[in-house]
Amino acid sequence: MSLAQALLTGDPGYLPSRREEAWRWTDLRGLIRVLPPPAPAFCGDLPLASFAAPFPTEEVVIVDGQGPTGLDIPAGETRRISLRLINAAAGAGHVGRVRVSLEAGARAVLLQTHEALAGGYVGETQIDISLGDGARLERLVLADDREDAVSVTISDVRLARGAVFNDAVLTTGARRQRLETRLTHAAGESEARLLGLYRLAGRRHADLTSLIEHESPGSASDQLVKGTVDGQSRAVFQGRILVRPGADRTDARMGHHALVLSDTAEVDAKPELEIYADDVSCAHGNTVGTLDDEALFYLRQRGMSEARARAFLTEAYVSAVLDGITDQDLQTVARAWLAREAAP
Amino acid sequence: MTALLEVRNLSARVADTQILSNLSLSLPAGEVHAIMGPNGAGKSTLSHVLTGKPGYEVTGGEARLDDQDLLALEPEARASRGVFLSFQYPVEIPGVPALTFLRTALNAQKKARGEAEVSAPDFLKLVRAKAAGLKMDFDMLKRALNVGFSGGEKKRMEILQMAVLAPRLAILDETDSGLDIDALRIVAEGVNALRAPDRSMLVITHYQRLLDYIRPDRVHVLAGGRIVASGGPELALDLEREGYDRFVDLAA
Amino acid sequence: MPATSKTAAQVLELERYKHGFITDIDQDVAPRGLTEETVRFISAKKDEPDWMLAWRLEAFARWRALEEPNWARVDYPPIDYQDIHYYAAPRAGEGPKSLDEVDPELLATYAKLGIPLSEQAVLAGVEGAPRYAVDAVFDSVSVVTTFKAELAAVGVIFCPMSEAIREHGDLVRQYLGSVVPVSDNYFACLNSAVFSDGSFVYVPPGVRCPMELSTYFRINAEKSGQFERTLIIADRGSYVSYLEGCTAPMRDENQLHAAVVELVALDDAEIKYSTVQNWYPGDAEGRGGIYNFVTKRADCRGARSKVSWTQVETGSAVTWKYPSCVLRGDHSTGEFYSIAITNNRQQADTGTKMIHLGAHTRSRIISKGISAGRSSSTYRGLVSAHPKAKGARNFTQCDSLLIGPHAAAHTTPYVEARNSGAQFEHEATTTRLSEEQLFYARQRGLTQEEAVQLLVNGFVKDVLQELPMEFAVEAQKLVAISLEGSVG
Ligand SMILES: Nc1ncnc2c1ncn2[C@@H]1O[C@H](COP(=O)(O)OP(=O)(O)OP(=O)(O)O)[C@@H](O)[C@H]1O
Ligand SMILES: [Mg+2]
Repeated sequence: MSLAQALLTGDPGYLPSRREEAWRWTDLRGLIRVLPPPAPAFCGDLPLASFAAPFPTEEVVIVDGQGPTGLDIPAGETRRISLRLINAAAGAGHVGRVRVSLEAGARAVLLQTHEALAGGYVGETQIDISLGDGARLERLVLADDREDAVSVTISDVRLARGAVFNDAVLTTGARRQRLETRLTHAAGESEARLLGLYRLAGRRHADLTSLIEHESPGSASDQLVKGTVDGQSRAVFQGRILVRPGADRTDARMGHHALVLSDTAEVDAKPELEIYADDVSCAHGNTVGTLDDEALFYLRQRGMSEARARAFLTEAYVSAVLDGITDQDLQTVARAWLAREAAP
Repeated sequence: MTALLEVRNLSARVADTQILSNLSLSLPAGEVHAIMGPNGAGKSTLSHVLTGKPGYEVTGGEARLDDQDLLALEPEARASRGVFLSFQYPVEIPGVPALTFLRTALNAQKKARGEAEVSAPDFLKLVRAKAAGLKMDFDMLKRALNVGFSGGEKKRMEILQMAVLAPRLAILDETDSGLDIDALRIVAEGVNALRAPDRSMLVITHYQRLLDYIRPDRVHVLAGGRIVASGGPELALDLEREGYDRFVDLAA
Repeated sequence: MPATSKTAAQVLELERYKHGFITDIDQDVAPRGLTEETVRFISAKKDEPDWMLAWRLEAFARWRALEEPNWARVDYPPIDYQDIHYYAAPRAGEGPKSLDEVDPELLATYAKLGIPLSEQAVLAGVEGAPRYAVDAVFDSVSVVTTFKAELAAVGVIFCPMSEAIREHGDLVRQYLGSVVPVSDNYFACLNSAVFSDGSFVYVPPGVRCPMELSTYFRINAEKSGQFERTLIIADRGSYVSYLEGCTAPMRDENQLHAAVVELVALDDAEIKYSTVQNWYPGDAEGRGGIYNFVTKRADCRGARSKVSWTQVETGSAVTWKYPSCVLRGDHSTGEFYSIAITNNRQQADTGTKMIHLGAHTRSRIISKGISAGRSSSTYRGLVSAHPKAKGARNFTQCDSLLIGPHAAAHTTPYVEARNSGAQFEHEATTTRLSEEQLFYARQRGLTQEEAVQLLVNGFVKDVLQELPMEFAVEAQKLVAISLEGSVG
């Protein structure tokens, strides 16, 4: 069952439904009765990337699933790339797949933007990322989908020995949106940091699902996701850390923290640990709460309007996630994105 | 006459790094020796090798207690033969009250030595007396061992355990660090009270002030994984003035 | 050999199960298999009113349409539901009677298990020691209930379920199935059709039950299942503490235990429910042992009501169990304290659900899992706040300890928050026994085994202290015995 399969066959019977454990909180079957027609070939001018300014790079553009199929960075090279996934055709469906591979010792900084020129699209994109021995990739994903869109993005990440992957995903959701990361520590001594931030309002929905697999010894994973839900929005966090037999000296941490800002909003979380090796240290934490009244009052006493004080506190709450971005340009882009979202 | 503790040409490594090389040391019964040396010299490593901490590989030499091979024994067997280590960083054990821990330890040692276990009332009497001597609040002993204790409280707890377990060889690894001025005096008095003709102590420290209270019979300088100089108490004063520079050169 | 793998090797060595003897007693059994006839047979044996038989038959019809659940992280060969005796009773053991009428062989069995069935013996005990009223369930029937008269004097009803159905029909009819509906799940539905005996408790308004109530379950018969049903009602402002213990003989076959426990707490009432589950876990290779598929749920129906579940799970080959609280009344409180120990080839999938429906409801979950040998232990939990549960609070702490390289530990919590006032906090850790702590203890003279035991006791302490004193001592021993392979 997958959205891609349903789009390719036109058969809604393939849509994931809430009866499947992995989709219990992100029901596509109940939402989509008829699948949209495939997107026509794109002709026209593309707008400039909105975040191009502080990020001098080469650009890879995929429109409605069509475009280059891969990006290969040879051993030892360093690159800065902007990967733009553009939804252009209104009310159309598309499936895309792109490969990003770094050979041994290669380094890359990747800014991945999900952009929309029209609404009502239904799309699934898979990104296959592989890092060779000692390779390093830092990625920032800005998922700016339309509120009436359905979008699924799957990042499949494989880390070879000693590879380092630093990832941050920022989203405002969609009608239904799933940002899924499957990461495998395949050969040991690799490191992954997965950051996530969501700001949901209206009737938006965002689902951050991840599976982190430790297959070999001595790897570390550190995941931190924070977000807020307002209006009638719904956030889903499903994080699973799987430590396979023999993956000794695994160090894995997972944290998900959410603020519920309205009585009609919802947060669903399932942080899972599944452990088959004994020489490990794994932990997860999950909190759901609301803004601290004391803090709110304190700011108002200092002269801020209630709306301003709320915006201030929620921004402060989520922005801690961005401290984990190490590339200065990506950091700047991420902060600008958050400032735009936080403007009351 | 052989010394109570005799260390000859001891070499040891941890995680493939050689830390101790050809270290020799002789500690006669009834004496107190101080070990000083720069950070990372291998002082704690020596204490761990002598007490049998897993993860340390002895690559040469020997250590004998009462002329018996110490290195072949399990850690608890060394303990019940009277080897006590006051840890530089005492471990926290959640959920186990300090009293329970200490009583379990005392009785385990007694059992290993073929002695009768202490009854609960006798044990409490013993601990109360020793705790009072160290000016420790008895209620603290009902809390989980070392959990949430301040640095100084942990060190006091180590000395209390030493007093109750009455070892033959006490190794004190920087027991003075983290203690306030009064606590330092109290702990030193506790240590002095344990001085006895059949008991020896190895006091690892960085500071003269502890040695002002506990007068060592000899002072050794440990640098680069071996003893590079030994002398009387005056050696400690020299070190305080001049630092370790000349010894570090010696070790190289 | 590093400390923990040595421990693991010892864990594999042996499991000493002290309750594994078989009582040789004259049995009255239903033929193997499950049909409508079986259900009628059980109902007739118990001399039940028509409404009860109708209830059972409806459950049976629904059960046939259900499928066995497979979502839990446990793995066992298919159960042949037609190869089980659904009723087994000591001959002439129908219904409780006075102690001097009970078969001496049975009394001896309970004495051997350390369960005081003689009121005189309990009374003659140490002065000031807590007293327990005991309902002893042997296979499908309750053989004796002690202290009934003394309890009746304050209005507390404590009797076998079969007796309650006959003598307190209105209460039973009002509450039975009101917390766990007949077709709640596969095993609960099966239980509803064939349940044999169990305990019934009613505590009237304002009464603080004068002693601990306890039920002691024993599976003895071969090829039999146990399907007991417990119902406890704490009326307004009352309090009751209830304990449950279980054992079974060592047999090569797997035996099914599918119980249902329903608790109802009305306004300001409090129920404390403690379980020490020590069903036969099977041998080191995983042969035999009890399948423990149990549905336990509390309805905190009244305002300010409170229910705490405390469980020490050391037995059973496979455990599937989630004692839960439906926090319906405003300001009601649910608690769940659990120690689950698995060793050898045992599998446990256990946890709790805290369903916050009312305003300002609170819940607290402390779960400690220990897996040794080739066993697997899963914590599965749900905490949810519905839109009306303003100001709901939950705190969850969920720790797993692994002993040896072949053990597995999993944590699967679900959290669903649907209003802005709820505050949920969840923490979980998985680690192995710390080498640093082990060495520290050994430096002080403890053997490896003593050190492991000491650290394990420390690990589970937060939960042990929730148990009534007497049980805590027993449970601590049980923890040691369960890991005995690992402690020499
Ligand atoms: N597990 C380990 N792996 C690698 N090196 C280690 C390990 N443990 C200790 N060492 C190294 O061994 C050396 C000696 O350490 P040790 O703790 O014995 O020093 P010390 O003399 O006690 O120092 P201090 O005065 O700071 O307490 C140090 O360089 C330390 O980094
Ligand atoms: Mg040191």
